Amino acid sequence: MARLNDDAQWIVLMGFLVSFGFFFLALIINQSTIVGQTTAESVIEFPKNDIRDVRDMITRNTTVSNEVEVKRDIRTISMSRKDAVVDYTDTTAISCYQNYICMDITFNNGVTEYHENWISR
Amino acid sequence: MKNTDGGQLYTIEGFAAGLIMVITAYLVVNATSIYTAGDTHINDMQLETLGSDALTVMGTPMNTTENVDDTNTLQSILESGNYDVFRTKFLELLNTTGGGRKQDIQFNASYSCRNSDDSIKTVPFSATRNLTGGEHPVRVTKWVIVDQSSCKNQKQAVLVEVLLWRD
Repeated sequence: MARLNDDAQWIVLMGFLVSFGFFFLALIINQSTIVGQTTAESVIEFPKNDIRDVRDMITRNTTVSNEVEVKRDIRTISMSRKDAVVDYTDTTAISCYQNYICMDITFNNGVTEYHENWISR
Repeated sequence: MKNTDGGQLYTIEGFAAGLIMVITAYLVVNATSIYTAGDTHINDMQLETLGSDALTVMGTPMNTTENVDDTNTLQSILESGNYDVFRTKFLELLNTTGGGRKQDIQFNASYSCRNSDDSIKTVPFSATRNLTGGEHPVRVTKWVIVDQSSCKNQKQAVLVEVLLWRD
């Protein structure tokens, strides 16, 4: 009867070690494909430029004539083209420091909500 | 059982071979970079920032401190209908590479205004190329106050929208 051949056990063990090494390398490569995806997405989804733009226009045109129509333009076009609720109220006459202009600005596109009490001389 | 230590060299060789294989695989895999989904977003972000900056420059009055004329370039282009100026200026701003090779950015611009019945009208006014559907564009926008548009002849806010992509 052939006795149990226990030669080459070390080589088998080394084979195991190498294969585990490959396995973990593959795992790392697999992870690397999604690294940065969520970071980039959250950056690109944050409407920084939209908020800055709408805020800039509102604050620069506080004294624009035809104010009612312009506000209606901003609200309607924002909703239709940018999927964002934009609203602003001139609160200068309601509650504001003397000789200052106050404005409540709201932006909400469902993901990001922005609210500002803008005060200026 | 007899204690044999004859295989020690083979063991060391096994270790060495294993290390060499792992290191080789590591080097080979590292030699190429994988272009992942996250990387495309980085390109998009750069293009969006570039376009947004260009529109901001065009939408800023030349001289606000003197307050002589607060009409900005974008406003006068939309009011006059002189859309070739938009194309020239916008491409000039986009392709400023510090004297280097010109970039290959294409755009398609339109503006949206509100009719008196609250419907939105979108008017394309300038493009370097038509959209075929195969592009992967980003959208940049800029609000402009104009005195007239194709919707109505009064002071109003219109939204300039530009689709940007690289060939």
